[in-house]
Amino acid sequence: MHPVDLTTTAEFRIARLEEALNEAAQVNAELQSRDALKTQFLANISHDLRTPLTAIITHAEILRDGILGPLSDRQRDSVASIISGGRQLLEAVGEILTYARGAANQLTVSPSEFHIAAVIAQVSALNEPLVAKKGLSLSVNIPDDIPLLVADREQVMHVISNLLGNAIAFTPAGGRVWVAVTSVTDGDTLAVQVEVGDTGIGIAPEHHDLVFREFAQVDPSPSRRHHGTGLGLTIARRLVELNGGRIWVESMLGQGSRFFFSLPAGSSTR
Amino acid sequence: MGARPHILLVDDSALVLDALRLLFQESGYDVSVARSVTEAVNAAVSRSVDVMLLDLTLPDGDGLEALVRLRAQGAEPRVTAALTGREASEVEARCFGAGCRAVLVKPVPIAQLIAQVRDWTSGPLSGRSPEKH
Repeated sequence: MHPVDLTTTAEFRIARLEEALNEAAQVNAELQSRDALKTQFLANISHDLRTPLTAIITHAEILRDGILGPLSDRQRDSVASIISGGRQLLEAVGEILTYARGAANQLTVSPSEFHIAAVIAQVSALNEPLVAKKGLSLSVNIPDDIPLLVADREQVMHVISNLLGNAIAFTPAGGRVWVAVTSVTDGDTLAVQVEVGDTGIGIAPEHHDLVFREFAQVDPSPSRRHHGTGLGLTIARRLVELNGGRIWVESMLGQGSRFFFSLPAGSSTR
Repeated sequence: MGARPHILLVDDSALVLDALRLLFQESGYDVSVARSVTEAVNAAVSRSVDVMLLDLTLPDGDGLEALVRLRAQGAEPRVTAALTGREASEVEARCFGAGCRAVLVKPVPIAQLIAQVRDWTSGPLSGRSPEKH
């Protein structure tokens, strides 16, 4: 081959490579914009679902509370079911939205300094009625010397709420559910570790990874006893990691479950 | 016996407005409704408001804009509470920064909503009150 040919070939190849690179960049941009569209779609849908649900629940509560006149017990029970069904749907919609924002990296962390005890008290108070209704006992154990957290308070609350909600859902009547906090040192850094445990049905070790995976249900059959979007723990993991922590589970089938997460204490959170 | 407290409900959804209007009318309030920033400003300028419940996503802008404009015109409601679709720390901070007394997540359980509004309107009612805070 002549040297001229070599140069031509090299130039030709470089041109082809550049072309391929451009194409890849275009495909990448296209995928990103489609992903953003999908996220926007999910956000819109969930707003459009929440609005009529808000009206339905408000009207049903007006009826239930007798504001438009007294109801019979059976009527009140029926209306109460509309409300609890509506609230369940609302929660599912909320999870889908949070998941969509997480998947699109649109979840932002607004850290503030707070005491984990206040958040746990709030979450457990909200769950008290359900705990009583299911015939469970709920205990909270937080030593006085737990350091303050610097994290996104709403997000931490969301995580505890999710874990406690699961613990209650998967524990049969007569069981125990607990929240315990300890401070641990992880290398040089001080961390706050939260345990949410229960004496419920438990999770086989081979399913421990699965429960944190999106849309995963250990029992995916339509007749499964426990419903949900399958996003709760995926979101919980995302939120814990966004706040610089980690989350894991210790459990055996039939032996209850203990979910843990830890977050750095003090000012080391980003 | 003073006049009934005047509550202004601001939301872009007619469904939500109807539900809240029913609730507050039946609970003894004088109710006005608005579906946009402009309507909210007009309503509060033409008649002083004791409590404004303000949705944040309105067709002609951010709900908080109504509060800012009313303040500029000296027609700020005695109490404004934001009604949001979901709890998020950054939204909350923005609402409090704009002067909201509370940030409530829709749908607020009605017992809680009525108790809250009753608490805000239990003092002397506004005839364009001069108080600053």
